[in-house]
Amino acid sequence: MKGRGLALLLLLPFTLFWVAFQLAPLLWIAINSFWSEMNTRWGWDNYHDILTSPFYLQAFRFSLDISFWSSVYGLLIALLTGYSLHQLGGGRLQRFLISFTNMTSNFAGVPLAFAFVILLGLNGFLTLLLRHYGVIDAFRLFSRNGMVLVYTWFQIPLGVLLLYPAFDGLKREWQESAALLGASRWRYWWHIGLPILFPALLGTFVILLANALGAYATIYALTTGNFNVVPVRIAALVSGDISLDPNTGSALAMLLVAIMALITLVQQYLVRRSYLNAKQP
Amino acid sequence: MSYLEVRQLNKRYGPTTIFEQIDFSADEGEFVTLLGPSGCGKSTLLRCLAGLTGVDSGEIVIAGKDIVPLAPQKRAIGMVFQSYALFPNMTVEKNVAFGLKMQKLPEAQIRQRVLEVLELVELTDYARRYPHQLSGGQCQRVALARSLVTRPRLLLLDEPLSALDARIRRHLRDQIRRIQRELNLTTLFVTHDQEEALTLSDRIVLMNRGKIVQNGDAEALYTQPVDLFAAGFIGNYNLLSAEQATQLTGQPFQSQVAIRPESMQFIAPGLGIPAEILSHSLLGNVIRYRIRAQGVELAVDVLNRSAADLHPAGQQIGLQLEMSTLRQVA
Amino acid sequence: MSRTEHLYHRVMVWLLFIVLALPLLATLLYALSSDWSNTLLPQGYTLKWFIQLWNDGRFLTALGHSLLICFGALLFSLILVLPAMFVIAYYYPRLDAVMNILILMPFAVPPVVSSVGLLQLYSSSPLMLTGTPWILIGCYFTIALPFIYRALANNMQAINLKELIDAAQLLGASTWQAALWVVLPNLRKGMLIAVLLSFSFLIGEFVFANLLVGNRYETLQVYLFNMRNGSGHFTSALVISYFFVVLLVTWLANALNPERG
Repeated sequence: MKGRGLALLLLLPFTLFWVAFQLAPLLWIAINSFWSEMNTRWGWDNYHDILTSPFYLQAFRFSLDISFWSSVYGLLIALLTGYSLHQLGGGRLQRFLISFTNMTSNFAGVPLAFAFVILLGLNGFLTLLLRHYGVIDAFRLFSRNGMVLVYTWFQIPLGVLLLYPAFDGLKREWQESAALLGASRWRYWWHIGLPILFPALLGTFVILLANALGAYATIYALTTGNFNVVPVRIAALVSGDISLDPNTGSALAMLLVAIMALITLVQQYLVRRSYLNAKQP
Repeated sequence: MSYLEVRQLNKRYGPTTIFEQIDFSADEGEFVTLLGPSGCGKSTLLRCLAGLTGVDSGEIVIAGKDIVPLAPQKRAIGMVFQSYALFPNMTVEKNVAFGLKMQKLPEAQIRQRVLEVLELVELTDYARRYPHQLSGGQCQRVALARSLVTRPRLLLLDEPLSALDARIRRHLRDQIRRIQRELNLTTLFVTHDQEEALTLSDRIVLMNRGKIVQNGDAEALYTQPVDLFAAGFIGNYNLLSAEQATQLTGQPFQSQVAIRPESMQFIAPGLGIPAEILSHSLLGNVIRYRIRAQGVELAVDVLNRSAADLHPAGQQIGLQLEMSTLRQVA
Repeated sequence: MSRTEHLYHRVMVWLLFIVLALPLLATLLYALSSDWSNTLLPQGYTLKWFIQLWNDGRFLTALGHSLLICFGALLFSLILVLPAMFVIAYYYPRLDAVMNILILMPFAVPPVVSSVGLLQLYSSSPLMLTGTPWILIGCYFTIALPFIYRALANNMQAINLKELIDAAQLLGASTWQAALWVVLPNLRKGMLIAVLLSFSFLIGEFVFANLLVGNRYETLQVYLFNMRNGSGHFTSALVISYFFVVLLVTWLANALNPERG
């Protein structure tokens, strides 16, 4: 059919640019991670160097630590507040808060870094307030705990927006049936509510994790590269501040992508084992 | 005193009255249907009995005790929803066992009771399936089993058959009635389908716009509708104004009159009231004719026994009716 | 829902609001204060930071750059994506599954990672794109793709594309006429939503802008970062202004929306 052939042509520009700007860089990285500039040969040198370097291993540890905990806290907060938001049921307050959450999800990055300095920096508003009431003595924003806090903040809106549709799936009649059968609110959530939400919770957690692992702007703006996480290391290797080594950078990047792929696979496996995919006995 | 007594129940939602001054009772083991059009308040009334929605005033007394202040968990009432409401993350077995688990019964006893009730609804082979692997009718039977296994004092059914197709509906209807009789369980059944109400119930409570219109057994409701609404809702009554009734029969009438289509017969053209056939529809075992007699249009039902019962449009016919079958309704 | 339940939900929601609004409010306060070093509340209030900002040539240039790139990238993306999605929806519906995988890539491969390859591929002739706005337009196309695709896909499904074109063809239109005169006008809502979602995402983008282009074509975010050692009040005014611009564009897009989403 002539129409179909012509139509295929229309797919060309799209495919071309997608390959050029999304696929090609990835392929370059994948291939060149195996070329060692230092030893001028192909092989696993770069990967070996990274995995035996305490410095890079520390970067992975910090990245996984901050990403994991900010995702856990973010998910919990998003679950509690998102559910309440959903239960408010229609109305202006709910609509306003949903668009507000949407907007704050884009506040992350450099603006967020500055805002947190104002709030929790050495002379920050909250720091002074908390010190005044003797709650905390010294809170250091530029520490692991500070990073977890900042990351949790920008995970919350994303978590709320991702979980929100899942709450629609919780039919009111399940709660009512459970009540008539003798289940209190807590037992309903434990036996029915949370298990039903499990696939959505897991899926959201994985996305939050990927979001945190790849985040660069916020932590770079806050610490100007003084905090050792993987994205900062990658950028440092390619933007030539100290050492320009795109090949090691590529290997580092591939390892990051591999970690995210692994997490996604685990999630897919867990979802497959859930009740959603039960086969005929 | 009856087993279940509902006294002076009222509920409003803002300026709207959902139902008012609801008064009715049910004996132990009785099957009572709440019948009425959409929006008449019957479903809300059921939910109030279950404790899922609050009431503004009134009492609900079961075996002598007022349950209005009790939470749904404590009422020992079973309920089956229109959408089945089976827990999707549990097998049939676990769904049915849930209520017993909440009562903290020992494992062996739970297994025994679950098996018993699954046999009752004929679903023993499906114990390990998940709800999404069952058909609509099967889901409804599981929902029924789940509410029965806890041995409730009262069973509530909220339009449980409306989401099913006709053949399954009839089969399940009979099954529900059979089980209910076997267990001697007081049951309240909500529906808008008059056929279901008439075939299943010991007694029917007809509701309209939040009030009880008539309360009686199927026969009484069908042959003696108390007002215009009741006559229009049950059966396929012909509703005539006073003038039309006078015109048709020659007798004076003061109020509107209802005539059942099957209470009139066709006889030879010269006898009875002269009438003309306008059209007919074949309803299977019954032929419904539209005729005009003395300027009044009527529906007449005739049993489809043979070809002799088929009359073409335009044919002149005689209409015979007993004066006693004309019922005056307000 | 009982009254205590309702109260609980309201409290939770307000907590959410406060936590999310706090950084914004703090920035706003800082932008409006004349001096706020180590006291609990500002010393005084003033508008001078905003005035200084909006008179700054470098800021206005950066703003201009950002707006140009964002809208340019969005327009470019729409021109590429619309025909492609139309072709897939009408001729090759099975490619939809492929598309769904493609749009996951920006999440699996973060900008930091892509930058490594992009810098190596496009930093030398024949394709000298780094340091120019063109590379940003290409990159922004890839990260806006998921939002644009989702919005348009939902829209296309809602209008039942195949049936619409079939109906138009029965009335005498060729496939391409049908696409242009029937389908496109009905995609207005989807396009508007796509623009809405992507715009605030793109204008807040820092990684590509800093690593691939840097100061040679300074966008708002890069400018903001470069000003970090200056007055905190000034940068706060900058953040608030940037947020205000985003709100404005969002409000405009909503106003142009024929019906409430």
